[in-house]
Amino acid sequence: MYRVGIDIGGTFTDMLLVGDDGTAVIAKTLTTPGDPSLAVENALRPVLDDGSVNKGERGTLIHGTTLVTNALIERKGALTALLTTSGFRDAVEIAREHRYELYDLNLDLPKPLVPRHLRFDVPERMAADGSVLENLDEVFLRRLVGELRDKGIKAIGVCYLNSFRNPAHEKRTAEIIAEMAPKIRVSLSSEVVAEIREYQRTSTTLANVYVQERVSDYLAQLQGRLDAIGFNGSFFVMLSSGGIATRDTASRFPVRLLESGPAAGALAAAEAGLRSGHRDLLSFDMGGTTAKLCVIDDGQPLKTHEFEVDRVYRFRKGSGLPVRIPVIDMIEIGAGGGSIARVDSLGLLKVGPDSSGADPGPVCYGQGGTQPTVTDADLMLGYLDANYFLGGKMKLDLTGTKKALERLGTPLKMSAEQVAWGIHQIVNENMANAARAHLGERGKDPRRMPMYAFGGAGPVHGYRVAEILRLPALISPFGAGVGSTFGLLSAPLAFDFVRSAYSRMDQLDWSLANRLLDEMAQEGSKVLQSSGLAESEIGYQRTADLRFIGQGHEVSVALPDGVLTSADLPRIAAEFERTYESLYGRKGPDVALEVINWRVVASGPRPDMNLKLPRGATQGGAARKGVRLAFFPETNGYVETAIYDRYALEPGMAFAGPAIVEERESTLIIGAHGKARVDERLNVVVELTDGK
Amino acid sequence: MASKTIDPVTLEVIWNRFLSVANEQQDALIRTAFSTIVRESQDLACGMFDTKGRMISQSISGTPGHINAMATSMKHFLAAFPPEKLAPGDVLITNDPWQTAGQINDITITTPIFKNGKMVALFANTCHSADIGGRILSAEAREVFEEGLRIPIMKLFDRGEPNKILMQIVRTNVRQPDEVIGDFYAQTSCNETGGRALLEMMDEFKLDAIDEVSEEIIRRSEAAVRAEIAKLPAGEWSSETWSDGFEEPILIHCTVKVAGEEIFIDFTGSSPQSSRGINVVLNYTHAYASFAIKAAICPDVPHNEGSFRPVHVSAPEGSILNALDPAPVASRQVIGHFIPSAIFAAMAGALPGRLMAPGADPIWLSVWRGQDPSFTLTVFQVGGTGARPTKDGLNAVGFPSGVAGVPAEVIESLSPVVLKRRELRADSGGPGTWRGGLGQLTEFGRRGESKWSVSSIADRTAYAATGLQGGGVGALGEVIVDGKKLHAKALKDLQPSDVVHVNLPGGGGYGDPFKREPEKVLWDVIDGYVTAQDAEKRYGVAVVYKGQAAELVKLPADWFIDAARTEKLRGKR
Repeated sequence: MYRVGIDIGGTFTDMLLVGDDGTAVIAKTLTTPGDPSLAVENALRPVLDDGSVNKGERGTLIHGTTLVTNALIERKGALTALLTTSGFRDAVEIAREHRYELYDLNLDLPKPLVPRHLRFDVPERMAADGSVLENLDEVFLRRLVGELRDKGIKAIGVCYLNSFRNPAHEKRTAEIIAEMAPKIRVSLSSEVVAEIREYQRTSTTLANVYVQERVSDYLAQLQGRLDAIGFNGSFFVMLSSGGIATRDTASRFPVRLLESGPAAGALAAAEAGLRSGHRDLLSFDMGGTTAKLCVIDDGQPLKTHEFEVDRVYRFRKGSGLPVRIPVIDMIEIGAGGGSIARVDSLGLLKVGPDSSGADPGPVCYGQGGTQPTVTDADLMLGYLDANYFLGGKMKLDLTGTKKALERLGTPLKMSAEQVAWGIHQIVNENMANAARAHLGERGKDPRRMPMYAFGGAGPVHGYRVAEILRLPALISPFGAGVGSTFGLLSAPLAFDFVRSAYSRMDQLDWSLANRLLDEMAQEGSKVLQSSGLAESEIGYQRTADLRFIGQGHEVSVALPDGVLTSADLPRIAAEFERTYESLYGRKGPDVALEVINWRVVASGPRPDMNLKLPRGATQGGAARKGVRLAFFPETNGYVETAIYDRYALEPGMAFAGPAIVEERESTLIIGAHGKARVDERLNVVVELTDGK
Repeated sequence: MASKTIDPVTLEVIWNRFLSVANEQQDALIRTAFSTIVRESQDLACGMFDTKGRMISQSISGTPGHINAMATSMKHFLAAFPPEKLAPGDVLITNDPWQTAGQINDITITTPIFKNGKMVALFANTCHSADIGGRILSAEAREVFEEGLRIPIMKLFDRGEPNKILMQIVRTNVRQPDEVIGDFYAQTSCNETGGRALLEMMDEFKLDAIDEVSEEIIRRSEAAVRAEIAKLPAGEWSSETWSDGFEEPILIHCTVKVAGEEIFIDFTGSSPQSSRGINVVLNYTHAYASFAIKAAICPDVPHNEGSFRPVHVSAPEGSILNALDPAPVASRQVIGHFIPSAIFAAMAGALPGRLMAPGADPIWLSVWRGQDPSFTLTVFQVGGTGARPTKDGLNAVGFPSGVAGVPAEVIESLSPVVLKRRELRADSGGPGTWRGGLGQLTEFGRRGESKWSVSSIADRTAYAATGLQGGGVGALGEVIVDGKKLHAKALKDLQPSDVVHVNLPGGGGYGDPFKREPEKVLWDVIDGYVTAQDAEKRYGVAVVYKGQAAELVKLPADWFIDAARTEKLRGKR
């Protein structure tokens, strides 16, 4: 049985296929935006046709896609209506009544996915304790649903107040819609995200139903293509949480597919860390417009339930549509190869978050870009080779870059070289600052965590970012260009479940808690068994979101196994206190606890990822392929720097910085105080010393 | 590191680090705070100061009245406790309105940070406390003494030991001791978080002190603000803005003078201080005035001591904007939040195309109290912002306050209050080429059979937000019980079955409404931001629905503009 991971990115669709014996095949094809499933076929068909795998053999295909993210950003979803409790159809527009930026008089707020004329009041009301204050007006509802059906509405999101405590009215609404308009897709807030806070819940529910048709059509289309090319096996989709879902679940809860590509990247980092003995890592993925950072904690990426899509203002928190889903906890910073450098009104050099994008791109692309970018600075510093960009497919214009940097440097009284180093430093600082805040919020000390750097620009900047954060080492994987596909294949099958059931812990109905936990475990078991796992292979991770009574933010706490009773309370409270203290650095006040949500993750075993990677033509050739001048501050300027051929590196090789390691899609820069060695899996592991 | 030799790249790097340190401080505060006011509404400010008490950086959120007033307070803290009287582990506190944010509920907590036994910086934050004893937050008091417990500048922690006497006094004096003391702890620990981050970065950059870097930050920021002011035309302009006041309307008379690289803002001619708690201390006046100037002319310049310097703010002693101790001040925001609009109104002619029309301005505050079970709930609400020269105003968004709303579900989980409605208020935005932001219609009721009460602090119930450049006024706000309008600042006992309608005002419009693109008016009608009647009356655009009037679902395709009639309507003027 073989396994295939396919990640559809903005530009490229990447594939990694692994046979029973660990033999791996890598493929990269252009993404086909009109019909993304075509690129999947283009990548997979040749391996099926050329006999790399036996067509009759069963395969498992795991897929990551940005389809949902793009559909939301480009507003290419179905014609959607929203039903809310009477008086609350504007919750999704009133939002937080808040400006995410204090001083900008011209700011815009994110536009709700559903305009006001498609948001409808429905007479009904639940109280905060789940009791019925007003019955659902079914007569009105039938009239409304009839009109929506007759006027061509394709999707309906239902979000009633306090439905996370009692979903009866939402469920009844779904029944009536199913009866009267079976073709309309429906999402209930109590099913998509049964959590308190009506704005966030409505926003999430709408995002889900808005993209449902598109995602389910796409997945059906992809299944059709897979059948046509003779793929014989099961097909799964990666979720934002790093879990894997069946096509059916993905179609029902497409919002959980957001960011599944980046999630796979974080999983790849976690996997590489486990293999090389680093259970704690900082995953660092820097591309053309943004950088993404994620903490890997004890072999697992940290997770959160807060996410924002389509931020309208410089990646600013609060400027996007909130989506509450289990998601790998990543920060995204407006810092990438295309980030533009400029001088601000204070006479200081600023980098990003504006990006030159792919068109016109950096000055050195020679496509008309005039504003110097991070990539231009990297070229000026000798980190990139004008003749070996994308393996030589694209020539870079060093002369144009130098002129642009000189222009920028004039008001700062700095040379082109100095400005280039300034840009490099500042963009690294920006990323390190964001990382530090992210780590701080999670109570993590970076000084124990190596960095796992990938993405086109990740290995170019990783060393310096690691140095600023005082990380001990930098790991640069082989095949960084298809890094996410490793993650797709390394994830166990896993499903996340949540039930909101607010209660003081000292007044908790323990039988209710046990029932909710059991229900979720059973659901998980059912889906996993239908995906071919045996019950004995399934593990359950149970947590509760707890907080001090009245405190605003919850802390997820692992629960003991088995049936819970009040005798478990001291243990749970102790675990809460331990987690709280590690997050906030001090003990909390002497206040009782309350529980907000119960959660279960059901997962299968971790797949074996002992791969035999293809190496290419230069394997066995000279590792050191030449020298060029590159800038290193440790030596106060440009020095002759050794260049290594990534494809010719063998396990056990070691060399010291300054050094440059080139592969087709990226370049690894090693500072003068770095000591590199190549591990068994062809990762280059760079130890950062203090230079003594 | 001498400031003369600090290069722009190093300065940028260190400066960014200072900003991220303040944000770490703020995140820690929001995550550990207890009161909904801090954790949901984010009525707070966090900042870092050098040893001279000069603000160097502030966190990204927060509310202007707190940020800038906190900056002023640091001088008072250092006067009471000069560095030689401070030791590691000390934490200072005060809520004195005249020394900090002008309201007795606003607690400022300051922590000196030491390196090698020497004080290197201070971290401070100001938060609105859930309760501080005295009257429930209202405008009713006649002296500050009625408004609650006043804490002079003193130690909350002495070398790490909590001031148990103070904590006991506070616990005994407030209605929600756990929330209030819990927030004190959150405020203390977030300063520590900031301090720790600062010390780590000082180690990394091998700095023993930050005062020289701060000097350079202040110098550059001041220069940037001066350069922006120098681009403005010289001159003097004034405006008049009316607030409902308490017993009588209050006039804010604002004169803005631009002279060279400096701006002088003076409030001579404004009403005298009030006998009720709507008075503003000069700190707070200064805070909102300097906020307005920064937003108007240099939003990108980081906010610190340097950016305040070229802005001079004055108001006569004993006037509404410079009230004297012991005037009651609990609801100072209802006057203070008018200051930015007053300044924009004065400068609008001098800065064509750059400033926004007045909006709902003051945030509305209501405190709901009752039994079965016992509750005290503070709710902030906002109306619409003023229209901008190229954009509509924002619907139900606070300006100038930076405070966020509280979800209905959170309100209901904490109290028997039931929010029966929270929706945008059609036709409340002032008409204009660019429409003012809409206010809200909200309704509060309760479950259970016992009596309850509300203390509401509202404004713009008598004086609407005016438009700019020919734009029309926004709708007035109103608080209605049982069909009767309440006084804007009222403490009202309620029957169990009462429903309180709190309808928030809209923002003013910008430019002639008859010049608004008819297509935009059409969409406003389709989405119900403007009714067809108002579109005709106030915009001169006739919008017609060609389907059945009784239909619930009215799609855009069935709406159209009656071009002939529109031409006639618009031609009439």
